[in-house]
Amino acid sequence: MSEDTAQLRIRPLQDTDLGDITGLDEKIDGKYRPEVWEMRLGYYMRRDPEASLVAEIDGRVVGFMLGEIRSGEFGLEQPTGWIEVMGVDPEMRGQAVGRRLAEAMLAYFRGRGATSVHTLVDRDMDGIAQFFIALGFEPAGLTPFVKELA
Amino acid sequence: MATVKTHIPKKFHDAVVKWRQTFLPDYDFLLDNWERYFPKDQRFETCAFRETGICDEIECGDRKGEPKFTRARDLDSEQAAHLLGAIRAQASTEFGSIQQHRLTLARAQDEKDQAWILRMMAEELRHGYQMLHLLLDDDWSSVTDVKSADMVEEILSMTTGSHVLGAFNIEFDSFVDNATFCAIIDRVGKYQLEMQRVSAYKPFAASMPPMLREEAFHLAAGIVPMRRWMEQAAQGSVYITTEDIQKALNKWLPRGLEMFGDERGGGTNVRYGLKPMKNAEAQGLYYDEVLKLVRDLNMRYLRARLPELKLKEAEQILDQIVDQRETVRGITFEELVHAPHKHFFRRRGVPSFEMTGWDGESFDDADSYLAHLSKQLPDAYRASSDFQDYAEKLRKVAGGEVTAADAAREMPTLRRVGGACPCSKSVRWVADNGASGNGGAS
Ligand SMILES: CC(C)(COP(=O)(O)OP(=O)(O)OC[C@H]1O[C@@H](n2cnc3c(N)ncnc32)[C@H](O)[C@@H]1OP(=O)(O)O)[C@@H](O)C(=O)NCCC(=O)NCCS
Ligand SMILES: [Fe+2]
Ligand SMILES: [Fe+2]
Repeated sequence: MSEDTAQLRIRPLQDTDLGDITGLDEKIDGKYRPEVWEMRLGYYMRRDPEASLVAEIDGRVVGFMLGEIRSGEFGLEQPTGWIEVMGVDPEMRGQAVGRRLAEAMLAYFRGRGATSVHTLVDRDMDGIAQFFIALGFEPAGLTPFVKELA
Repeated sequence: MATVKTHIPKKFHDAVVKWRQTFLPDYDFLLDNWERYFPKDQRFETCAFRETGICDEIECGDRKGEPKFTRARDLDSEQAAHLLGAIRAQASTEFGSIQQHRLTLARAQDEKDQAWILRMMAEELRHGYQMLHLLLDDDWSSVTDVKSADMVEEILSMTTGSHVLGAFNIEFDSFVDNATFCAIIDRVGKYQLEMQRVSAYKPFAASMPPMLREEAFHLAAGIVPMRRWMEQAAQGSVYITTEDIQKALNKWLPRGLEMFGDERGGGTNVRYGLKPMKNAEAQGLYYDEVLKLVRDLNMRYLRARLPELKLKEAEQILDQIVDQRETVRGITFEELVHAPHKHFFRRRGVPSFEMTGWDGESFDDADSYLAHLSKQLPDAYRASSDFQDYAEKLRKVAGGEVTAADAAREMPTLRRVGGACPCSKSVRWVADNGASGNGGAS
């Protein structure tokens, strides 16, 4: 599965993206965290590598979106798509890279029998919430609860 | 898009289980500890998967657009022979790689790396099982006199040294080989599976997507430990050096390049609608991907050596060291890792026995070339019969006793794999008839 326009190409994640994704994260967050991405990408690659996607322009990775289908969590018995981690190169924001990634991921989830797609957004990250709203997401009937243990 | 799960008839299933008990004795350990290493991942099962809803029309070649074949007897005989060769080669690699990995699995220093490799081995078993399913699920009598049951038996009786493809006959020397093999040889597998996914024979095409999903993890099981080793090497570890990793690349990459088949071949598979790319094209893409992998490893090393660097600076410095071969902040070209030249240490295909050095330099006598190789290859490998076979052939080619083409044809010492079409130039590895359908995977 890969979806192309003139410059932007969306394709499944692969092991050789590790360096580029670590680099994108560093650009976004300012931190170099190779082990974190080795663990994360290892997780997505062993579960369903086709569900997670990267966006490329001329062979350069400019965005990624990691997710998968799960069932039986949070009382959601139906197969449910989850968008879990994403990032778009700060220099490439606002050019529909995120939208294209999300659309491709949703199409994949649909093809695999998922009837809905979920994500969790930190209340402080309004931009990300706006991004999902622009894509047609609505607040779900689930409220996350948390209790600090330390 | 969904997958259908099946099992092969009990008699054969039991034979695979018996094979597993011999060559994958840690299988029970894997399943007993599954939750510990792979929490919430779907449990492993010895079964065959096929994807539903795949393309119904032939995707390339002379009959593009016509319906895909669902029975072997509907293919024309040469086409069917190529296909059968491909399935058997594929099956051989799947089982073969388990036999290689098991030699050094216990030598891993890191428990998690070991668990990943063990899971990968179980998945290779499943891939082999899928190929047996293809052999047992159809009637191949229009192609070969060998009964499906005998083909299965033949595959399950192969051991290291008798497999169809060269890379699967080379023994592992340490756990560095386990990871490097995954990163380099399974990567060829990914290309083969990706190409076979368009196969005009629908059951074969439908077997590929579930295998490809697992293959992505096999590559990760190689590349993640290698990246960590680069970091450890940069920190002066006593356990691993970049030289160890370089030598493992030198050992495996030439074999990986050869798995694509002769650089001049592959056209027949394309015409028959069995693969979308000729050998040289696929091999070129593969080599470029290995260059990316190597750069990624070097970046990991450089950032560990010079943690104060930001991404951009690190990229510039890496370019300087690799492209200009400069020493920057004490880091030399030699202490990083590099993909050897495409023609280095080749014994199959266009550059076979051509005596091209690691850096692309030419040698004109066998002794100096072998001396060069002996510096570039791992110590334990130099002492192997595989290297000895190569050295003997090289001397004969250099001395004019045999042609490079003849030596290449004889290269792996092989048993009969039969059934493949003797006309094919695209393939290799089968000593008796010079042909089989494809480069295989694992
Ligand atoms: C959120 C993010 C993925 C958006 O990527 P992008 O490529 O810039 O988004 P797009 O250009 O595809 O935008 C799609 C839609 O979302 C909207 N949108 C995107 N970012 C927005 C923002 N910050 N505020 C408001 N709306 C926004 C766009 O206006 C657009 O709407 P439209 O299509 O109706 O015009 C990107 O900004 C990002 O990577 N942010 C950081 C991610 C992060 O912190 N990850 C770690 C936690 S998972
Ligand atoms: Fe495999
Ligand atoms: Fe594999």
